[in-house]
Amino acid sequence: MAEFIMIIVSAVFINNFVVVQFLGICPFLGVSKDFKSALGMGLAVTFVMTITCLITYPIYVYVLTPLKIEFLEIIVFIFVIASIVQMIEMALKKFSPSLYNAMGIYLPLITTNCAVLGVAELVIDEAQMISLLGISSMNMGVAVLYGLFAGLGFTLAIVIMSGLREKITRLPINKHLKGFPIAMIAACFIAMAFFVFSV
Amino acid sequence: MNLLLLKSINFNTLLIVIAVVAVISIVFAVLIVLVSKLCLVKTDERADAVASHLAGANCGGCGYAGCSDFAKALVEGKASLSCCGATSNEDKQEISAILGIPFDAEEKKLAVVRCAGGVNALDKFQYVGNEGCFAQSLLQGGSKVCSTACLGGGSCKAICTNHAISLKEGVAVVDRSICGSCGACVIACPKNLVELIPASAKVYVACATKCKGKDVMGACKVGCIGCGLCAKNCPNGAISMVDNIAVIDYSKCSGCKICVSKCPRKCIKEF
Repeated sequence: MAEFIMIIVSAVFINNFVVVQFLGICPFLGVSKDFKSALGMGLAVTFVMTITCLITYPIYVYVLTPLKIEFLEIIVFIFVIASIVQMIEMALKKFSPSLYNAMGIYLPLITTNCAVLGVAELVIDEAQMISLLGISSMNMGVAVLYGLFAGLGFTLAIVIMSGLREKITRLPINKHLKGFPIAMIAACFIAMAFFVFSV
Repeated sequence: MNLLLLKSINFNTLLIVIAVVAVISIVFAVLIVLVSKLCLVKTDERADAVASHLAGANCGGCGYAGCSDFAKALVEGKASLSCCGATSNEDKQEISAILGIPFDAEEKKLAVVRCAGGVNALDKFQYVGNEGCFAQSLLQGGSKVCSTACLGGGSCKAICTNHAISLKEGVAVVDRSICGSCGACVIACPKNLVELIPASAKVYVACATKCKGKDVMGACKVGCIGCGLCAKNCPNGAISMVDNIAVIDYSKCSGCKICVSKCPRKCIKEF
């Protein structure tokens, strides 16, 4: 139970992928203009992260490590992520056209979202994970849970950002700061708030 | 040098790498093919044909998200061709041929802002805040005394994809030579001041108030007071007084511009 809570706190707050580790900044700034599409993007990333961990962790542990070809990890992981995103895109088009339209170009962009590759790379780094979570050894369950909550952390950050940006667009702001610059400043303050957890 | 490089390659490892990548790629290829078969979406190819004939402005004047959305609605019979103002009559004719739906050619309509207030209209209070018209109208219906005054927030200007609208002395003005007649500004105006009138029109009433003359006198220097001079002097009987304001019937208007010279408030304007 303590391990479980540690995974949640670590993945969502202490090592939040966007505002602490600065991975996946592209969708964080690109899709955070309104709440609805931000939530959709966050959930899509969460889904992809979970499935990615579910597939890449066993591939690394049971295929790449015994064959001593760990150097293939990035190629194989990118490959897996791209295939999963492709399949999710087709499934979304069939079962939820509105979400498919809302995400538009950003769904294929999850393929190159470094947060997804980041979580796949992080969960196979056993020493790093043990020091992060304070657990005795890594296993499949921890990897998948970490993927899930890392995705939820991403969702949390992007949803907070979208809420802030929706408010900001209604404020009278100096025209030189309007739009992207003020979004960067808002992102800075969100990151500072999250850093409280890691001190 | 080349030989050295060749010797450094471990061929066993190379074979394993090739085999592993090949196996993984085949597995995922099969999976993707399976999913694509499972999730095949039937698309109506007529929708693409219709979309190719639409103006492609993506202006949003029809109330749909874009031209492809509107094409889909047309195919499904949810929308009518008259919703789109940006597509030319020839293209509409071809769309009606594709879908087999009736279509009557109508004259091109262009947008006009029915207000000349701005600096001429009196303020109730000084507004400081978000410039958007909708936000302004939420606070006591805007800062003007007149309830149907252009607030000058530029919501119509912001939504116009043709950049046909500009703000002059606090009032939105449509440049009719570049108006795409999509009607997006009609939806954007919280005061319903933007109207689509025929492109051949020579004059328009630049006021939308329904108040009595005395109230208008106290609120605006150029508002219609409903005196009826234009209606009395129109040789074609094209102007009628409805709810204290002049309304022009463009099917009868000959463009003589007598009304423009007779109007004591100068709120009937020529283009």
